[in-house]
Order: sequence, then structure tokens, then C-alpha cells
Amino acid sequence: MTITWEQILAFLSGDQTMAITSLLFIVFFAATALVHYALPRIARPYFLLAVSYAFFCYDPANRPLVWVLLGATVVTWLCGLVIGRVRIKAVRIIALLAAILGGVGVLIYYKYWNLLADSLGGSLLSHRDNLLAPLGLSYFTFAALSYTVDVYKHRCRVETNPFHYALFVSFFPTLINGPIERYPQLRPQIQKSRRFSYNRCAGGAFRMLWGYTKKMVIADNLSHYVSVVYGDPAGMSGPNLVAATVLFAVQLYMDFSGCCDIALGAARILGYDLIENFQAPFESRSFSDFWRRWHISMTGWFRDYVYFSLGGSRCAPWRHYLNIVIVFLCSGLWHGADWRYLVWGLACGLISAIGALTAKSRRRLDRYNLLYRASWFKSLWQIFCTNILFCFTLVFFASALYNADPFAIYASMLQGWQGLAGSWHQITALIYDSGIDGRLPVVLWFGCFVVFAVEHTRQNVSAWVRKQVWPLRWTLYYTAAAAILFFAAFGQSAFIYQQY
Amino acid sequence: MPANTPAPIPTPPVKIRRGAAKTQPARHRRKQKRRNPILWFLQGLVRRLFFGTKTAFKCLLLVPILVFMVAFSYNVDRSGLFQGALAPRRIVDLMLEGYDVTNFEQMDERQVVQLYAQDVPEAPEAIGIGSSRVLQFNRENTGVESFFNMGVTGADVRDNMTSYYKMVSYGKTPQVLIWSLDPWVFYGSEAAFDSRADADLYNEFLTKVLNVPTDYEEPDKVELWRALADPAYFQGNVDYYVKNHGQATVTDDEGNTIEFNPVQGDPYEQTTTIKRSDGSVLYDVAFRTQTADQIRTLAAEACMSFNSVHMEGFDAMSETQMQAFDSFIQYAQSQGTTVILVLSPWHPYLYGYLLTEPDNHKGFFQVENWVRQYAADHNIPLYGSYDPECIEGLQETDFFDGLHCSGTGIERFFPGVPQVLQDLQNNTLPDPLAVHPRTSLDTGTTDEETAETGDGEPAAESSADSTQEE
Repeated sequence: MTITWEQILAFLSGDQTMAITSLLFIVFFAATALVHYALPRIARPYFLLAVSYAFFCYDPANRPLVWVLLGATVVTWLCGLVIGRVRIKAVRIIALLAAILGGVGVLIYYKYWNLLADSLGGSLLSHRDNLLAPLGLSYFTFAALSYTVDVYKHRCRVETNPFHYALFVSFFPTLINGPIERYPQLRPQIQKSRRFSYNRCAGGAFRMLWGYTKKMVIADNLSHYVSVVYGDPAGMSGPNLVAATVLFAVQLYMDFSGCCDIALGAARILGYDLIENFQAPFESRSFSDFWRRWHISMTGWFRDYVYFSLGGSRCAPWRHYLNIVIVFLCSGLWHGADWRYLVWGLACGLISAIGALTAKSRRRLDRYNLLYRASWFKSLWQIFCTNILFCFTLVFFASALYNADPFAIYASMLQGWQGLAGSWHQITALIYDSGIDGRLPVVLWFGCFVVFAVEHTRQNVSAWVRKQVWPLRWTLYYTAAAAILFFAAFGQSAFIYQQY
Repeated sequence: MPANTPAPIPTPPVKIRRGAAKTQPARHRRKQKRRNPILWFLQGLVRRLFFGTKTAFKCLLLVPILVFMVAFSYNVDRSGLFQGALAPRRIVDLMLEGYDVTNFEQMDERQVVQLYAQDVPEAPEAIGIGSSRVLQFNRENTGVESFFNMGVTGADVRDNMTSYYKMVSYGKTPQVLIWSLDPWVFYGSEAAFDSRADADLYNEFLTKVLNVPTDYEEPDKVELWRALADPAYFQGNVDYYVKNHGQATVTDDEGNTIEFNPVQGDPYEQTTTIKRSDGSVLYDVAFRTQTADQIRTLAAEACMSFNSVHMEGFDAMSETQMQAFDSFIQYAQSQGTTVILVLSPWHPYLYGYLLTEPDNHKGFFQVENWVRQYAADHNIPLYGSYDPECIEGLQETDFFDGLHCSGTGIERFFPGVPQVLQDLQNNTLPDPLAVHPRTSLDTGTTDEETAETGDGEPAAESSADSTQEE
């Protein structure tokens, strides 16, 4: 039997989209890495640019929208060129405004059009069905905007090579879930491609494997239970709603950070270091600390380009607190055109603002708390409280995702409790009914434990694994691969943050 | 820029340094020796080859995981994509282990034949093909220890040919092929075809082997490969394996119990029909021990429905089917297979009835003479006859019903494969043209005599009687 190229391509391209967890992506990426390192270093960025556009255009739904990516790149690059080359302030401001309005305009058109149309009652704007946003819209527009602002603020030199800049905007590992890159960080890496390093590649490959494990073994399996509970919150008891909310927090972290691990690992293999997007957020001891560790590239973006622009903390206290709330509102809006995201942002903003407002008085009170004299207790308690607050706000987020009524969920959370044993029974019974295999809860517990233990104290998994002796290292490789093979939930390739 | 421009001079861009700033004063640059481009290219090439090999080797260390996944999915194969459906697979596994298998009526015989051809480790010396009328050929009456009966109930010409073709395509060509020829093999109408036959495989056979153009298209294997490389399918197989491994009763893909088990006790005392390990069928004890009257009753019942068994409107032999038959014989001989043709007799009562209405069975009555002529022309061993009168000593009790001759009946006309081969070698085969089957009642005195049934009654009268009794 002869195997033709058409058959191989048909075999690989079963789906119309190139999901990052698919075999097609892995083959695509391996071929890219192979050609990348076979090319002379000067040619690599151009090759990666072509590959990034091919990745973007693979999905037929994205092909007509490639002009959005191209347009955002060209407009912001030209604006950056004007800002960097022209010394007339008015022109620079106009160019900056053009870039910002262009970027925000594209975001509004593709993400918020229907929200605006519905809010205006259809008098000015009409609702548009089937309005598809291009892949990674929020990520590449924010990256492009950051470049023009950085050039304007002299934090970054203007880029004269449009292809290098285009690669920064469209770099395919960051297209799906970010992280939102900054040009000063990526520029030297694009301009001078790294030589092949086996250690870097091996570390990157493990980082990808680690991400796949987090996403496919833990997040996707947890999603069975969470989707059952949030799919029908009215029929769920309080214990299940609480458990689903807590597990949703874990699922969201494993899903998002898993995808970031894949992106960072892939970029690392290609010789690029991207921004770390998470730094053990569940070990945060305050709510503001939590947001310094969670989705770092986005919170950093809002901090640098919104919060500081509004005056940050160097203004009247009330303005400071307002700035915090505004930044979180923007963050909520960034996640989607849904009032629940907005309320989620507002809740996070208010909690952060209250946290900032009461920081000094809490520190004073802490001195009189006898329990706090045991530092381990203090740490644990603060971590516990922070995570509870995060989960509490996350109800809005999950409700937006599953189209549920968050206030009804809050109300139901207090109902149906039947003591510790009875409530535990309710939860475990529903977990098994939701389609999770009988062996899996143990795997999930153990998996979460291993992930949190390895990522404890903000460890870089790529670097950490390379420090281990080879028997342990290869045991880890095999264990992670076997975990995916035996326990991963296949067929749920979409990432939660892919849609933002 | 005008001097009164209020705009401040922009701060110079920060130069990003990748290494430590130089502290030593700049020295005169020595003119760098120009690198030899060929050497530079070769260095790059060697470096790439070295790291490429190293990386590829490390990647290969992960390959066992993939190999395990593929091998496990292929072998467990809960959906029967590669190994065939679970139930036929169990039947074939049991048969290959030497067990007779229960529950014959529920078997998908064609699947069993397919899987047997696929799984049997070595080619059997002889195989039998045909409809249920061949299923009484077994190791004992063929005299071949390595015999497998590939007959299937209701087999049409496509079943016959593809059964043999399967063996050839799996590289297990038998030395001897016993083909129990049913008359509908030479009927070209759709009525001669059985809906259960594998039409695609037959088209493949016609196109690839006999070079007869059909609408055959190479099946798309992509979906199969995808399943093989699909981790979700692997997980399903793991679940299935964990549930069924070491269990006395096994379940199918949907969790239903598979009711095919090894025969317990004496196979000749079973109350249900069983499939023997050599592919032959052993009917239940009640069916095998019927009296002559009971058998005749069944034969009488078969009279009315005779044409409905693949012979509705069979007025003449099909030229195309005769050519296909000839091509197949030549193909089998080209594969080194000795073809033995067998004409399994019909019950005397039934045959006698057919003689009373020859116009309704024109095609049927043409077949035997044509086959005899063909066998004589091509020196092909031919045994048996549709006409029971042509078989010496054949009794009514050598039948189970109107259509199916028992093992004792077979022994009356078939001497066994070793004897046939010896006769063939010695050129002492019986002359096919020496036998003259009856084709109507008015073909002479012999015909008149033979038109009587075993009881000496004319067939037509007996038929009328039996109809009245019914």
C-alpha cells in the first residue's frame, strides 16, 4: 500500500482549525522549528512571519479577516514611524491617536459592536449576526498599541524593518492566548535570532508538555463538572455551586496557564523568551498581589498604559482608588462584551480599592492579632482569604462564560447544605454523574498537587526540569506523556481565553 | 526644525545591550580575517547536522509511547476498525484455539470468514466455499486435517469468489479449493445476489484481479489511521480492556454481553446449532435426527419457495457469469490452487418436483450439464450432481431438508481430497460427462423411473398429496 502526500495531509488536517492541542499543530510546529534552525539566522524572522500568517490563515474563517491583522500591523508601524521620525509634537500626537483609535476601533467593531447596538436599542447601530472576530484580536491589537505608545514615550526605538515588527504583532505562539508582548522585550530577539541550544529546546519542549498536561488532563476534566453545575445552576445545591466555583478557579488557571506554558515553550524552542504570564497566583497573600501574579501581561499592560496614564497612585487618594476601579473595569470589558464581565471587573476593582484603602489600618490591626504571631498561620490565612475573594468574584466570570444568572447563583450558594458528610456526598455524586471516570478524581487531586508543588515559589518549569538528573527528568517526561495519554479529555481543544 | 519650536528634543533611544558594557577604551580594530565562505558553510552544516541528530535521537526516546498507543489501539480495537467487530473476533479466536462455538444462528458468518482469513496464522491446505449447502464439508469427509469451510449461508457468487480472494490477498492461498457450485452462481440477475455479500470487495476483486471495470474505488484509509493515532480511541480501548480482560463473558463496544462461547460437552449432543472449529456447521441434534417423513415434509415445503432462493426468473444462464466463473477458475489455478467442483444434490422429492415444471426452472436445469462440459473441457475434478438419482446409494435420510445434504450424503459422492488429488495426478478422474442428470420428465424411460421419489410415487402426485396434507 502506498501512502500519498494527499492522504497524509488529509490525515493531519481533519479539522478546519489548527487547535493548539491537535496533532496537526504539533507536526506544524515541529516542521517550523526544523526549518527555522536549518535557515541562516538572518532569514529566520522572515520565515517565522510567513509561518505566523499561515497559522492565522489556516482556519478558513480567519482568511477573510487577515486584513485586520495586516491592517493593524501596517497602521501601527506607520504611526510608530511617524512618531519616531517626526519631531513636531502635534503630528506625533495625531499619529498616536490614529494608532489608538484604529486599534480601539477594530476592537469595538469586532468585539463590542453588538453590545453597543443592543445598548443603544438599535436606533444608531444595528445588531450584526455572525460577526466573527479574527484570531487573537485582543492580543495583537494590544501588542501593537503598546508599541506605538512606547515609541511615543521614548521607551522604545522606532522599528524600521516592517517585517520584524510584523513578526512581533503576529508571532504565532502568542496569537491564541497571549501573552501580550512588548516590543522592547522581543526586539533584540527578533533582530538577532539565537543559535540553536539543545538545553533551551529541551526546556521548551518540557514546558509545552507541562502545558498540555495542565490543559488536557486537569482543566478539561474539571470542565465536565463545572459545566454541569453552571449549565443548570437553578437545579444545583449550594455545596455543588461552591465546589464548582472553586474548581472553576482551578480549571481557569490550569487552562490559561497551560496554554501560556505551551506558547512560552514553543517560543523558547524557536529561541524567543516571552513574558511569564503567571507566577503562582494562588500563593498570593493579598488581592492586589494576586493580580500582580495572574495574567501578568494583561494587568501589566493596563497598569502601564491606563493606570499610569490616569495618574496611578500619584494623585489624590480618591483618584487613586478610582483609577484602580477604572483599570479593573477595563480589564472586565477586555474579556468580553457582557455585563457580567463588567460587573466582575467592578467587583475586583472595588475589592482592590478597598484593599488599598484599608491596607495601613489592617497592618496596624495585625499587630494585635495573636494568631498572626505564627507566621505560617498568617500566610495560610491570608492566602486562604485571597483565594476566597477571587473565587467569590469569579462567579460573575463563570456566569458570563456559561450564560447563567450570577445573582441567582450567589443566592443558591447558601441553600441545600446537609452537614459536612451530606454535602460532600452531594458533590462527589455529581462529580461522578458528570462523566468523570471513577479513577480520575484521584488523578486530578494528585495532578493539582504536583502542579502547585512544582510551580511553588514562582519556579520556571523549563529551567527547573533541566536541573534535574536525567533519570528523574525522563521519568517526568514519560509520566507527563502517559498522563495525557491515559487521562486527558480529548475533543475539548478550545481554551477559555481563546475567545477574548 | 525652526528654532522656536516648543517641542522638547526627544530623549535618545536607549540602546539595548545584550552583554556587559565595555569598560576598556576603544582600541584600533584589527582588520578581521575574512572567513572562507565554504568553511563557514560547512561549519554551519556540521553544527546543524550534529544538533539535528542529537535532537532527533532524544525525540526517538519518546516514540515508544506512541508505539504503545498505536499497538494497544490496534490490538484491542473495541470498535472493530482493524481487527473486525468484537463478536466475530471472539468467534474466530475461539475457532483458532480449536473450540467449537455456540449460537451459530446469531453469527455474522461473512465477518467470521473475513476475520478467519485475516487471523489464521498459516494457510489451510484446503478450503470450501459455497452457500449453506457446503457447510457439511468438514475435516473428516474431506480427509484433510488442515481444512477450513468458508461457506456462508445464502452465499452468492460474490461471496464465493471473495472468500477465496480474501485468503489470497492475505497471502494464505490454499492448495485446494472445494467449490460447492450453486445454480444461481450462473444467474446474472440482481435476484441472484445476497444483500449481505461484500459488494465492494467483489468489485475490488473484479477490478484488480479479473480486470473487469467496475465502479470500485480504493477505500479511504485516512479515517482508519486517524483512529489509530487518536488518543481518545486509545482511552476507550483501555477502558474496554480493563473491563473485559480475564472475564469469562466479554462485552461488545456498547457493554452488551457477547453470547458466543466454547461448546461445552459433546458437540454431537448440542441442542443448538454450532460452528465447528473447521468452519463447518453441526446442526442441533433434533434437526439431525429427523425421520425420512419429517425430512420429506421439509423438502415439500421447499418446493414452493425454490425459485425464491436467488433463482427468481432464472430462465437462462448468464454469459457474463459464465465468463466470470471461467476467469475465477483460471485465477485460482494461476495461484497454484487445485479447484474441485462439487454439485451438492437436492432432496429427491424436491428434484422430482422441479422436473414436473421444467419451464419454471430452465436456467436451473441448464447449469449442471454446462458445468459438466466445462469440467470435462478443462480437466477439473467434478463430484456430485444436483440430481440425487445420479448419486449411487443416496438416501432421503442423507438430507436434513430439501436443500441440505448431510455429511453421510457427501461421503457417497465425494471420495476425499487426497483421493481426488491422486486421481488428478494419475489422470483417473471420473468422467463428468458420464453422468446424465434429468432435466425433464420426458427424457426417456430412465427419466420416468427417476422421477419417482424414494417411495416410488411420482413426484407430482407426491407434491399434490403433500399440498393437500398442508
